[in-house]
Amino acid sequence: MAEAILEIAGVSKSFDGLRAVDRLDLQVHRGEIVALVGPNGAGKTTLFNLLSAFLQADEGGIRFDGRDLRRESPHLVAGAGIGRTFQDLRLFRKMTVTENVMLAFRRQVGESVTGAFQCWRVRKQEQECAVKARESLAFVGLQEHAVALAEALSYGQQKLLALAMCLAMDAQLLLLDEPVAGVQPEMVVRILGLLREMPAQGRTVLFIEHNLQAVTEVADRVVVMDEGRKIAEGSPSAVLQDPRVVEAYLT
Amino acid sequence: MEYLLHILILIGIYVIAGVSLNLVCGYTGLLSIAHAAFYGVGAYAAALLGLRFHTPFAVSLAAGIVSAMILGVIVGAPSLRLHEDYFVIATFGFQVITYSVMNNWVSFTGGPLGLPGIPQPVVFGMRISSHWGFLALTWALAALVFVFARTLVRSPFGRVLRAVREDEVLAQSLGKDVARQKMTIFVVGAGLAAIAGCIYAWYITFIDPTSFTVQESIFMLAIVILGGPGNLWGSVLGAVFLVSVPEMLRFVGMPSSIAANMRQILYGLALVLLMMFRPQGLIGEYELRGK
Repeated sequence: MAEAILEIAGVSKSFDGLRAVDRLDLQVHRGEIVALVGPNGAGKTTLFNLLSAFLQADEGGIRFDGRDLRRESPHLVAGAGIGRTFQDLRLFRKMTVTENVMLAFRRQVGESVTGAFQCWRVRKQEQECAVKARESLAFVGLQEHAVALAEALSYGQQKLLALAMCLAMDAQLLLLDEPVAGVQPEMVVRILGLLREMPAQGRTVLFIEHNLQAVTEVADRVVVMDEGRKIAEGSPSAVLQDPRVVEAYLT
Repeated sequence: MEYLLHILILIGIYVIAGVSLNLVCGYTGLLSIAHAAFYGVGAYAAALLGLRFHTPFAVSLAAGIVSAMILGVIVGAPSLRLHEDYFVIATFGFQVITYSVMNNWVSFTGGPLGLPGIPQPVVFGMRISSHWGFLALTWALAALVFVFARTLVRSPFGRVLRAVREDEVLAQSLGKDVARQKMTIFVVGAGLAAIAGCIYAWYITFIDPTSFTVQESIFMLAIVILGGPGNLWGSVLGAVFLVSVPEMLRFVGMPSSIAANMRQILYGLALVLLMMFRPQGLIGEYELRGK
């Protein structure tokens, strides 16, 4: 087995006494596609918020690529190589599709006040970014919508854009919150196709999804959560027939 | 003629104020009502240095900018931790405090009596004293501020500002240091506002705290909102409109006692109508709203 890129050990998070995540252990290996499933309120999104440092764990340790993430802030975690999408699909809606992608690129000279006035360097880097943005958009199949406003895209296309932004920021670990929920069947196929290409690019995927068919199709491994705990883990075919899992989902 | 030049100089001063506030509130979505405090600190710095040390023009200007930026850090550090309405209220608090200091620290600021006889600036060996001289100085500085602001907003830095305005959480998740970005633009905006304050002090040659009240902050905000948040030309238009239109009332034969009140009413009415029918401002693209 490849090395663990993400190690979660005994992590808990409570809100007003409610244990949203309860002593969770989880390891994700480089190049793996892991699905996180479980009923609503199982703590999946809370776990994502912990991993991306929007929340701080009450106890336990989170290591990404050997680096301790417990006291980091969101932008530093992003800089370390963890990209995420949001369940409520956040985009810069009033900005163009290309601008959305260009915002995701890291280490831009012109993003500081002093850098902004180095016009020649900025222009050169902007041209490079524009080229890279076109490539990212072509990869997810949005090249024809490059100048559209993000809000003008269909729901499925917006999900593709969110994915393109994670790729543009050069995330090594992608945390995708329901990447195919609520999109049309053809779009599901397209998004799943893209997810399958991630390991070949050296990227790791941890995704939350309720669409169990999609999970079965792309996940190497499934982790089932209920009431903040991991209740099952293993290959999709084995786990999704586990009576405990079936019970958690049906009750 | 002098009257017309006077109006044009005031417009120039408010273009600087409007453009600088637009960076903070139009582009970044930080609805600050402390802008007159920064403008005032610029004015007091220019006045005090001129009166006590007869410093050259560039030194006074630089000192004004730096003092306002320092105040910007002091105001921004606690306020920027707050969001939306709470941020507005915090900046309001600092506006009131700054006014209060200007009004009560009599030995330093002259208190309510103000500072009279501020010496006029000497630029490249020329003493600026005529209306034409001030017009040239004001518009030259306004043009500089405008070009500076335009370079900023068109750069990747400006793109991040707009991203912060639209969705802070997403910007953070993409690795942008949102807190730092907000602080930077808040302090830059404060420094630019001080330029307007310096010109005001040199031009009027007398300042007192009543020129730097929360009313003044709201007037600057009105320039940005009326012209169009997130559009620099909008702030120019807003300044032209809000400075000159009330003056025109003088010429429709209204007694000055009524005209003064009429101006307030018209200005209020213009804002109400604008919010109802064109919330994005005259030529702006974005609505100013809490996120």
